[in-house]
Parts: sequence; C-alpha cells; structure tokens
Amino acid sequence: MDYTNQIREIAARLFSENKIDVFVGYRMTGFDENQVPVLIRDPKEVPRLVFNDKSVFNLTNYLKHEHTRGKRVGLVVKGCDSRSLQLLLTESQVKRDRLYVVGIACEGVVDDAGQKYQNCQECVFPDAVVFDEMLGTPKGNGQYQVNADIRELASKDLVERRAYFEEVFENCIRCNACRHSCPMCYCAKCCIDQESSTLYNGANTTSAAFHALMTWSLHLAGRCVDCRNCEKACPSHLPLHLLHKWNEQVIYENFQEHLAGVHEGDRGAFYKYSLQDPDDFIM
Amino acid sequence: MNTEIFVTDKAGLATFYEAIIAKHETYAPVEKFGKYEFKKVSALSGCDPDAPIATTMSAKPLFFPRSAKIMKYTADASGTKVSETDEDPLSAQRVILGMKHCDARSLQVLDKVYNWDFIDTDYQKRRRNTVIISARCDKADTHCFCTSLDYNVERLDAMDVLIVNGADGKVYIEPRTEKGKSFLEGDLTHHMTHVRDNEEAAKAMKKQYDAFAGSFRLNMDYKTVNEGLSKIFDSPQFENVSDNCVGCNTCAFVCPTCHCFKISDEKVKDTGVRYKSYDSCNNGYFTLMAGGHNPRPVKYRRWRQRALHKFVYYKERFGENLCVGCGKCTRACPVNISIFEVVSTLPHINNIQ
Amino acid sequence: MEAAVNNQLVSIEKPEIVAPPDWQPVIIGILCNWCSYAGSDLTGTSRIQYPPNIRIIRVPCSSRVDPWFLIKSLQTTADGVLVSGCHPGDCHYISGNYYARRRFLVTKKLLHFTGFHENRIQFSWVSAAEGPKFAKVVAKVTEDIKKLGPLHLYKKENFEK
Repeated sequence: MDYTNQIREIAARLFSENKIDVFVGYRMTGFDENQVPVLIRDPKEVPRLVFNDKSVFNLTNYLKHEHTRGKRVGLVVKGCDSRSLQLLLTESQVKRDRLYVVGIACEGVVDDAGQKYQNCQECVFPDAVVFDEMLGTPKGNGQYQVNADIRELASKDLVERRAYFEEVFENCIRCNACRHSCPMCYCAKCCIDQESSTLYNGANTTSAAFHALMTWSLHLAGRCVDCRNCEKACPSHLPLHLLHKWNEQVIYENFQEHLAGVHEGDRGAFYKYSLQDPDDFIM
Repeated sequence: MNTEIFVTDKAGLATFYEAIIAKHETYAPVEKFGKYEFKKVSALSGCDPDAPIATTMSAKPLFFPRSAKIMKYTADASGTKVSETDEDPLSAQRVILGMKHCDARSLQVLDKVYNWDFIDTDYQKRRRNTVIISARCDKADTHCFCTSLDYNVERLDAMDVLIVNGADGKVYIEPRTEKGKSFLEGDLTHHMTHVRDNEEAAKAMKKQYDAFAGSFRLNMDYKTVNEGLSKIFDSPQFENVSDNCVGCNTCAFVCPTCHCFKISDEKVKDTGVRYKSYDSCNNGYFTLMAGGHNPRPVKYRRWRQRALHKFVYYKERFGENLCVGCGKCTRACPVNISIFEVVSTLPHINNIQ
Repeated sequence: MEAAVNNQLVSIEKPEIVAPPDWQPVIIGILCNWCSYAGSDLTGTSRIQYPPNIRIIRVPCSSRVDPWFLIKSLQTTADGVLVSGCHPGDCHYISGNYYARRRFLVTKKLLHFTGFHENRIQFSWVSAAEGPKFAKVVAKVTEDIKKLGPLHLYKKENFEK
C-alpha cells in the first residue's frame, strides 16, 4: 500500500485549483521509518507528503484544531478514519463543503515490528465511507467479529477480571493522551476536567484513573470507530481497546447491529433508541 | 586521581544485584504491558536492571510522585481542621537499580529548582535516602541525544555507583560519590577484585564509552540551540512547527525533568485530601486564571513555552538545560514529534533532513 | 452468589476485602422527579417500610443520569446504585427513559466486564402510583448488595483514617 505519488498529485492539483487552504497528510520523521502528520499550507511543501502502511495516526483529529477550523481542508482518510469523519459530519462538527476527502481503500497499517495492528486484522470497513476521491481498489465490508482479547478476558471470572483491570487503572498516569488523540473527543472542555464540579478528580491516583477511563469510555460508547489512536498514544501501553471493543460488542449485539459512523446521518448509539431495546435487566 | 574500581563478571554482577535486593528496599525497571517502569522489587527474577535503553517512564515518580498528598482536612459545623498526611517521608535507605545516566542526570537538574526559593523537604528526604546504581548504556537509541547536551556523560557524578559492561565480558563497578563509596563497602563487593588507579580498567571503561558515544545518530550543538532559541520568541515558525501537536501532555508526563504540578482536592462528605499532581504546560487550562483570562490560549504559545522553558529560561536562571536528551518524549509522542528535530531546526542551525 | 467465607462477609469481586461485623451497605438511589420520586413519596405516606440503606437523589429524568454519576458513586462511597425512572412510554419528556435504557445496559455490562458484579448497579421502572413496588425494589437491591459484600473501591487509598 503506497499512494505517495497519487496523494502528492492530488494535493498539488487542489492547491493549484485553489480549492483548499490546508492539506493534512503524513511525512517521514527523518529519523526512522515512522511518520509525522503534517499540515501543508504552502504548495511548495507538497513533495514532503507520503502515504504507505506506516501512516498510522487518524488525521480527523486535526479537524478540531485551530489550524483547520473555518478553513478549506484537504484530508487523507483510511477506512476507520473515514468513519470518525462521518460521525463528525453527523454531529455537525465539520462542514462537508469545506472538506476535500481523499479516501483510501486501506489494507491495514503496521507497527514498528512490521506486524499489522490488531484492529486492522479485524477491520470491518477497510474502505473509506466518505470520500471525494478514492485511492486503491475497494475490498468491500468484512464480517464483524468479537475481539480475541475480549473473548479471552470475558471467559475469566469476576475476581480475575477485577484484578486485571485494577492493574490497568494503577498503571494509568492520567496524562489524558488517549482523550486528546481521540478524533471523537472534541469537547472544548472535557467533563472530567471540570475543576468546579464536585465530581472532579484532579489527582493521579488509581481511583481517579478508574473514574476517568470508565467515564471516558462510556462517553465514547457507540461512537468509537476503533481507530485505536488512544491505545497507540498511551505512554503506559494500556489495553484501552478492551473497554471500547467491549462496549462496541454490547451495542452491536443489543442495538440492531449498530456500528459507529458507517451510514450517513447515523448518530451514535446513545443518540437514538428503539422500542425493542432489551428491557429484561430492569425491575 | 584516585579511582576505586571493582572488577567482576556477569555472574558476579547478578550476585551483586541479588545481594542488594535482599538487603535493601530496591526499585528496578519492571515490565508491564510491554513497557518498563520503576517498581519496588523483591527478587531479581521479577525485574530487569539492564533493561534496554531507557524506561518508558522516568524515575521521576520516585522523587516527585505522580500524586502526593499535601494535607488532609475536615470541614463540618464545628469548623475546619487541617492535619498532616500519613505520606511516608522515606526515612529508610532505598536503592534504585537500572537507572540510565539520563535519568540520573535529570535529578541533578531538578535539584536546582527544588533547592531554589522554596525547599521541598519531601523531595530532599527522598533524594538523600536514595542510592542510585546505574549501568551505562552500550548503544544509543534512535531518539537519544544525551551527548549533545551540557553535561559530560562520561564523567557524570549523578549516579552513586556506575556499572560499565566492558567488551571483554568483565564488569567494572565504580563508586562516583561518597554515598556510593560507603554503600559499596562491606559484603556487597567481597566477591569482586578491588583495584585502585588501574590503567587497564580505566582503558576498558574508556573504550566502552567511546563505542557508546560513537553510536549516536543525533548530534547538535546545544550552545547554538540556546542562543538561537533565545532570539526567536516572536518567530511565526512556532506556529508552523507546533501545528501537528495534538496537545496530549504525554511528553511532560514521561519527561524526567518536567516538574509542573497542579493542586486539587478530593473530598467525600466532610473530609478531604489535597493532592499535588503532575500537570503539563500543554494543557489549555494550565495558565487559565480565576478571572477567565488565559495568557496562552492557543496551542503554539503553550508549545513555545515548553520548548523555551527547556532550552532558554531554565538555562538563564539555573545555568542548565531542562533537557537531558533521553528521547522519552519522542518515543511516547502519539504523532512522533521529535524535540531534537524541532529545537535543532527551529533556529535554522542544523537541518537534519 | 453468597460472598461469605468462614462466616465472614467478603467482597465478591475482591475476597481480600472483609466486611466489619456491623457493616451495612450504602446504596445511592437516583430517582426521576416525575415517577419514581413521587413513588417513593407515596411509599412514605403509605407508611410502608423499606431498608434505610438507600440515599435518594432526585433528578429531572432518568436520562439525566450520566454513566459518570454511577461510576463516581461507586468510586467514592456507594456499595451499590439504584436508578429508577418512569415506565417506558410514560416519560414526562416523552422519550427520556428510552435513551436512558440504552446507556444503563452498556454501563451495567461494562462494569461487569471490568470486574464488578452486575447487581452493583440496578435499574427499575417505578411509577408515581407504585409505592409498594418501590419498597420491594429497595428491599431487593439492599438484599442483593448485602450478599455481594462491601465494594471498597479505592476508598482505602484516598480516605483512610
């Protein structure tokens, strides 16, 4: 998967036709094989753009930053990124007519060791669902499957699960990198940062981490698109996907096979309801 | 010159570590979720004092905890009462194994600010009662640049005991401070050869250092960086270099020298605890004042503060860079922004591309 | 489901946590203003007795209950939480409880997945006319939580002594 030349051509064309102000893509770090997101404003810088299977970060994150707000933006999106873009459009966070979206029929991105990431192996929607122009051959949708880690953990008993997650919360340093790198977290001020509230937890304790991570994952339930920006950003390497994938699975099974950001105009699972929703757990 | 060196081999080093762990309260890098962090250990098998390159998290939490209790309080109808916390001030001696020299050096840098206008007694106690045993790296990582900064890595005295793995399979253990010297006296070094002013050992250590120093890919001149950055406060370049930062704060949390904190209360009913916890200047509300004014409302200004604090302000005030070149921030950054690239290219000094 | 070892009541999720002999669970009850709160009022005016372990908080609607509230309750003081609202179709705001129902299911399942017994948080629909039902619900929740033992989630870390 290498669309470097095509993306450079597209970006150059968009600049010359004066269709965009900023182009958001990737460039090499210059140190290693990894890539850095880059915001290009000057057509002369277009040759820095690259795209291959090391283009990991979900660029829709940059749509909430001041550099792109109110501007005409060109954007590269893979399958999962386009789902988050779809949701941002549905939630009126960005305007479609200001965007030029280069969709990728993604074949999965790889980590430092050259291994495909787990979410890429399990990917249900590898092709971009929102795009003005598509690169690559669309492969069609995959079959939704239950995450292997979830299956393994869910088969353990309550005491083991509690001990496992206690360790997760203990190792959280509460830097909030997960939240900041999440494309779906766009609140100007997060609810877990409201110092004036009595619900606020400012300390970096285990208890505060439990509170922050659980609240965060529940606020993303039914909206998470499984791009795993959070997990890749976590300096403690916490398995944050467990929380999100579990929620996704519960929602998929109970709420009419809902998957976030797949259909145009489809809101998050908590923004709609059905009269047939399960009721048996309520007295 | 009066250098004492203990010479042993790999097995002798393991015995040395085991003896320390058996005798003292010991902290060492422990692997969890695929990353290394300093944790209290009870056996050598559970930890890895020779962990590759630097730990993901620095040893900073052992001196400046992620969250420290400052005080407790109760507030009810009879009034407000404030009491001391039960936080352990660390009265017994403890040992840290496997701390890289960049981490050790960061403590010397932090000492300056902790001994400045306010003396942090808890920090002093923790610092005084800790023996740092550090093995010199054999090879630099992609993001390491400690040799480019304003300290002599070879003659660094930030660690109490230095361990050097010679190329010939021998291990050289050298006390670097008085504390280290008295720590090594006694049973710990009985199985080792004790030499004084030995040229052969000094040569082997020098050779190891040269091999290590030669493995760096990143080199810059910190003086040009200090000087260049001090002149470009108003440069529009800051906006360009910071535009791909997602403002996630991870760099400050993993940084061994960042020392900003926030104060917060945790309360239940009438009782509460006041905490001092890590914070980062990349947080949008870090400079938010009670009246609602925020002097750094946009990202590039916060970002500029972080870069300039490290290489200009701290240097002006304390004469040292607030960066030890460990590369932790670059490894942790979700979008792979390299502090080295930024500070070395910003003043257009040394374009590495 | 009995969480007792050697006649001592222990936490079902973390057997190290032993309840003191006089332990009584703390249950937070979050009730909707229009149905359940009025229902609990009716329980009182009808002189029906129910366990005193519950601490009631009144909210405008069950959909006002952010999962955050449940997490925070468990994190700080509560051993269990009860959320109660109008019956489906009876919501004062027409559809609030339908939205709430989805959130409750996911919250309950997530807590269960992260190692908290499902019965730590419970939900009920109680209308303003169902005074006896409210008493029954509270009795059942209290009994369930008593069986699960103390939660003690991180309380020790923050608020010892």
